[in-house]
Amino acid sequence: MEELIKNLKLQIIEALNLEGMTPDQIDDNAPLFGDGLGLDSIDVLELIVLMEKNYGIRLTSPAEGKQVFQSVAVMADYIAKNRKK
Amino acid sequence: MKIVRYVSIRPDAAWLNGVPVPVESKGLALLTDLYRLHVKDYPKFFKMDLLSKLGVVATELLVEDEPGRFDPREDRAVLLFSRTGPLCNDRNYQHTIAEGEYFPSPALFVYTLANIVTGEIAIRNKYAGDTTAYELSSFSPEHFVAAVRAAFDDRITTSAICGWAEAPDPDHFEAFMMLVQQDAPDGLPFCEETLRQINPNLR
Repeated sequence: MEELIKNLKLQIIEALNLEGMTPDQIDDNAPLFGDGLGLDSIDVLELIVLMEKNYGIRLTSPAEGKQVFQSVAVMADYIAKNRKK
Repeated sequence: MKIVRYVSIRPDAAWLNGVPVPVESKGLALLTDLYRLHVKDYPKFFKMDLLSKLGVVATELLVEDEPGRFDPREDRAVLLFSRTGPLCNDRNYQHTIAEGEYFPSPALFVYTLANIVTGEIAIRNKYAGDTTAYELSSFSPEHFVAAVRAAFDDRITTSAICGWAEAPDPDHFEAFMMLVQQDAPDGLPFCEETLRQINPNLR
């Protein structure tokens, strides 16, 4: 799980162009939106693409996305249980 | 109407009012250096396409010392002219929808319109005035002066960020932009002749 979280953070930094940020600076349990990383609605869409492209996971409902993108730790847990590649 | 300040940015250098702006890097890194030196705290910059980065950095050089820098205002227009518009970003987006690798990027898609750069400048600087993007085969001082003058006819606009911004790829970009004000006490006359004097490429 630790390796998955580290890779996921790197993928998020690259996909969302979080310039100057390193994986260590992203708290596993901090909210991705609002007070956490401060991501916006376009970033959500990029995360959905990231999930499908890298892990073969297709998120179809907004409610599901809201649940999955709570934090990096929640995302990693969901990926571990649902990944197809 | 007067040109209060004008800026030129190319991959190898930048000038403000004809005076070189200290910056060491070249190409795309030059824009990033200008961001770090002048914009400093606007991480959205890194999500922008090349054309928007160029326009935002050029605007920063024009207005960074202005009193009331971030006071919201409706009396400032943003009018930019370009030949290729967001073509660089369009190419990047096209790669994400290529056959066999179809993962369309939402973050790239939102920059595939030619007028996004004027919107980014307006958002960054809290301008709620007219924003317009023109696409022309080349920069025409006559057309440019006429379009900017027309923008002032709405009885709201008293100043404008305007000019030419061209960014077909990270190794080839050019901004020639200026702050034009209606009742400025100092500055250069806003006319075709002045544009040719301050931009040798137009002579």
